[in-house]
Amino acid sequence: MSILTKTNELGFYEIRLESIGGLGANLAGKMLAEAGVVEAGLNGVSFSSYGSEKKGSPVKAHIRFTEPDHEIRDTSPVERPHVVGVFHEALFKTVDVTNGIYPDSIVLVNTSKTPDEIKEKLQLQGGTVAVVDAINIALEEKTRVNTAMLGALFRVIDFLHPDAMRDVIRKTFEKKYPHLLEANLRTFDRGYEEVEMKSYQVPEGAEGKPFTRHIPDLGYDTQAMGGTITNPGNSILKDLSGSRVGVIPSFHQDKCINCAACDTACPDFCFVWEEGEDKKGRPQMFLQGIDYQYCKGCLKCVHACPVEALTAERETEGYAEDHRVPHRFRLAMNT
Amino acid sequence: MAINYNKEQDKLKTGKVEQRMVYESGNEMAAYAAHQINYHVMGYFPITPSTEVAQFLDAMKARGEHDIKLIPADGEHGSAGICYGASVGGGRVFNATSSNGFLYMLEQLPVQSGTRFPMVLNLVNRSVSGPLDIHGDHSDLYYALNTGWPILLARDPQAVYDMNIMAIKLAEDAEVRLPVIVAFDGFFTSHQKRRVQTIAERKDVHDFIGPVPKGYVNALDRDNPVTIGPYMNEPDYINNCYQQSMAMYRAEKVFERIASEYAELTGRHYPLLDLHRMEDAEVAVFLLNSAAEITKDVVDRLREKGIKAGSISPNMIRPFPQKQIAEALKNVKAVVVGDRADSYGGYGGNMVNEVKAALQTYGNGDTMVISRIYGLGGKDFYADDAEHFFQLALDAVEKGYVEKPFDYWGHNPGDPDKAPKRILEPLKKEELNTGLIKVNKDEETGKLKVKIPPLRALTKKPKRIAPGHGACPGCGIFPGLELFFKGIEGDIVALFQTGCAMVVTTGYPYSAHKTTYIHNLFQNGSATLSGLVEMFYERKRRGELDEYGLGDDFTFVMITGDGGMDIGMGPAIGTALRNHKMIILEYDNEGYMNTGSQLSYSTPLGHMTSTSNVGKYQGGKPFHHKDTPQIMAATNIPYVFTGTEAFPQDLLKKAAKAQWYAQNEGLVYGKILITCPLNWKSKEELGQDIVGAAVNSCFFPLYEVEHGITNITYDPEEKNKRIDVKDWLSLMGKTKHLTTPEYEESLKMFADEVERRWRKLKAKHEHPDL
Repeated sequence: MSILTKTNELGFYEIRLESIGGLGANLAGKMLAEAGVVEAGLNGVSFSSYGSEKKGSPVKAHIRFTEPDHEIRDTSPVERPHVVGVFHEALFKTVDVTNGIYPDSIVLVNTSKTPDEIKEKLQLQGGTVAVVDAINIALEEKTRVNTAMLGALFRVIDFLHPDAMRDVIRKTFEKKYPHLLEANLRTFDRGYEEVEMKSYQVPEGAEGKPFTRHIPDLGYDTQAMGGTITNPGNSILKDLSGSRVGVIPSFHQDKCINCAACDTACPDFCFVWEEGEDKKGRPQMFLQGIDYQYCKGCLKCVHACPVEALTAERETEGYAEDHRVPHRFRLAMNT
Repeated sequence: MAINYNKEQDKLKTGKVEQRMVYESGNEMAAYAAHQINYHVMGYFPITPSTEVAQFLDAMKARGEHDIKLIPADGEHGSAGICYGASVGGGRVFNATSSNGFLYMLEQLPVQSGTRFPMVLNLVNRSVSGPLDIHGDHSDLYYALNTGWPILLARDPQAVYDMNIMAIKLAEDAEVRLPVIVAFDGFFTSHQKRRVQTIAERKDVHDFIGPVPKGYVNALDRDNPVTIGPYMNEPDYINNCYQQSMAMYRAEKVFERIASEYAELTGRHYPLLDLHRMEDAEVAVFLLNSAAEITKDVVDRLREKGIKAGSISPNMIRPFPQKQIAEALKNVKAVVVGDRADSYGGYGGNMVNEVKAALQTYGNGDTMVISRIYGLGGKDFYADDAEHFFQLALDAVEKGYVEKPFDYWGHNPGDPDKAPKRILEPLKKEELNTGLIKVNKDEETGKLKVKIPPLRALTKKPKRIAPGHGACPGCGIFPGLELFFKGIEGDIVALFQTGCAMVVTTGYPYSAHKTTYIHNLFQNGSATLSGLVEMFYERKRRGELDEYGLGDDFTFVMITGDGGMDIGMGPAIGTALRNHKMIILEYDNEGYMNTGSQLSYSTPLGHMTSTSNVGKYQGGKPFHHKDTPQIMAATNIPYVFTGTEAFPQDLLKKAAKAQWYAQNEGLVYGKILITCPLNWKSKEELGQDIVGAAVNSCFFPLYEVEHGITNITYDPEEKNKRIDVKDWLSLMGKTKHLTTPEYEESLKMFADEVERRWRKLKAKHEHPDL
């Protein structure tokens, strides 16, 4: 008798985790798969998308479960997940996190929003929306987001028993970091308890979202010979604000002494300067503000600031957009 | 982690030995098999995606689970040398590599096979490429075909384990005596976790492979001196090759014998060919490794529709199972052979041409063969790709001929509307020549005088690197590089060796470099840039650059990490000795951070990395950090310096001097210490404090060597700022252990070495003749 509550036509229950590097989605995926295979006796496979993407860049983890005696041959990424776990809400902006979901898939999001708001934001037809404020749990327990998300995942994936995961957490922390064990167990339990789920009627005839595979804009007819990039500096088109995880530097111009210590410290070249006149009428550079499109929230600038012109703040929705001072690049084309 | 449920336990009883189920990846299984075999020596150099093999072995070693001597080489060429040297010593030797790393060691492989010393190399397949691709295909594997090593393939983590156990036995067999490659797909197999059955007891593994065979020459037998590797030309050399060729062909039968013994032992059998529903197949697809597995699912589905489809995939490709392939295909009407690497100009990859040769050799002129190049550079292979391949075969059967014998599959033309267009205007010359930085030579003293403005004024100068790069939050590379570039007036041309800075700034189709940038693999950047420098001056001399209206000369800068200065030390020294007019700037983050924090020679003693783990049996890196500035100073180049972001004025001045020397005299080498919060396990915002503390602890003194004369540019003792190394180490997670009583001895050794080098440097500072 199967414990898998649903499977695709090939007999797989599929899960996709959407995250950014550094939040531990890869590890969460591994632990989740291990719990299914090692503890629940399913057959399974787990892997992450790999690149040279660094901390803060979008990543995916893929997990497939099937019956114990069913052979696994497929090594391709999960395209039609039964469950999507979104570890980082800001990904909505740059990644199609629900790509390929079924009408009745479960979408779990790390957010402080309600299921209704998430359903609206992701324009879901139906299915189950689950929300958990994993960042808040992790901040309160001084642990990591991925453990809280694991708790929530164990709740929404009904064939896995949370005790299995508690054992894994115990084994992981007991020896190496015994002082972190209790907080991590609490984080897991809170994720499990605090997740809020709401199911929506699937409209008749709904097919979910067919998966669209990424086809690059450039191809053999349009790529420059030899892979040369003939429009360098085009990285300015990228939006890296999704790399921030809750904190942001805030600029207070009235306190700024224009010493450029922040500019020296910033790894992401976010500080925008303009020439003006000082009190004696001599030309001088003045700091205008921060281009938050590129800010990854490392806070080196706040630490480097000798006065209190830069402070660390908890990022609220819309703050970066409202306070952004965009770089004035000399553009060769209209973008 | 062992799986302990009953149902699976029953299945494990098919073999003769006790087995244990684990849930692990291909890399983990290669390491696991190696630790059970307990090889004597592994010489290695990290490269994606095989790096983890050494990492797992190092972690196991820190826990005391094996005795393999793990030797971190200076590059793959070095690692292959270590392995060769170890194998002539008569013990068991292991290595793992991928891609360019494999090619870098390539010349060593025929030496190893031609002199007949067994070992096992795991080749975790990845693309070999111009624009750097770190994902999997078989282009590295195809270079292995002519090395004279038997090659076993492993389609999944289970096969990685099994093949590794069999490979050493095959290599050491009296009939073979050749080094053996076990090849598996990068990422698809190396990084995907699966259930794997393992032999539970190490003793059973050892009983199977047996003791190291005796009676063969080795370099450590004083009573039987031998000459290994003589100077051998014609007419003798061809006879050596014939011996080797015979041994290679014998490897087929030997493998079959070992495979049946292994099947008896474990219940798992690996014939030469993995055939899926080929008995009566009319259409077939031939693929190597992981893609062949997906194809089996498609075969099953096609069979349900009544299509007589089959899949064929070899477990061994050297020697090539020619006869078996011909036999398997004899009633097949059309076969699609997919090659995951091209043999450019060969009308198909290596496999399709070898399959065709097999058919021809055995008199089969009827089976139609279709060649497709697919899945290059890690492009995923989906079930629908396999369906397409079968459709090609079905079409050929229906038409009675092959419409397109050779093509690519999975490439795309691109959208003409989205062809690249210039986004940014080039930087203006006058903006880059601020006139705010002045370097003059004092004719009396011969010393350079440098004037630099406050940092504020230099914010007007455009940055050479654009925002939008993908480095980790808090990365120290970019503040370090830009601060250095700020001290340079006018145009630069930069060459970045492979490393974090290169990878995060040039992810196609984006580039964060506003000025011209070149990449080359990280053993060869200095040589490459020296070629460009000489081309610049030669073309300039011939007047060929007049049309560009350059005005001033470029400043040529080679950017490297500390890893690049390990593997590229030779070319860097060569470049220094030739004294080209250029700058080598090394950003040192004390490890190979781009590939997952392996130790570099610049990693200090006791520091924790993924190949210098901390555990009961090992306490971080076992040897002291390399003093690269002193090595470079010993080449007698005009200018050597150190710097950090924490002392911006100091670094700016040195950048200005560096430019002067690079334009007027010759080579400059500089090292900047930069933070890697991710792998130093430190707080992102503390980057400057940490490198500042490294300076104040005298671990990283700020100094310059100008025409051989050492000058300490900031003396923490003089300024009353000197701190204990412990205060610096306590700021990073990677060194926390060193501050505990348990590691008191290591800490003292490290502190003593820091002190010794500091005193020596001070003596040089005080005496111009030193």
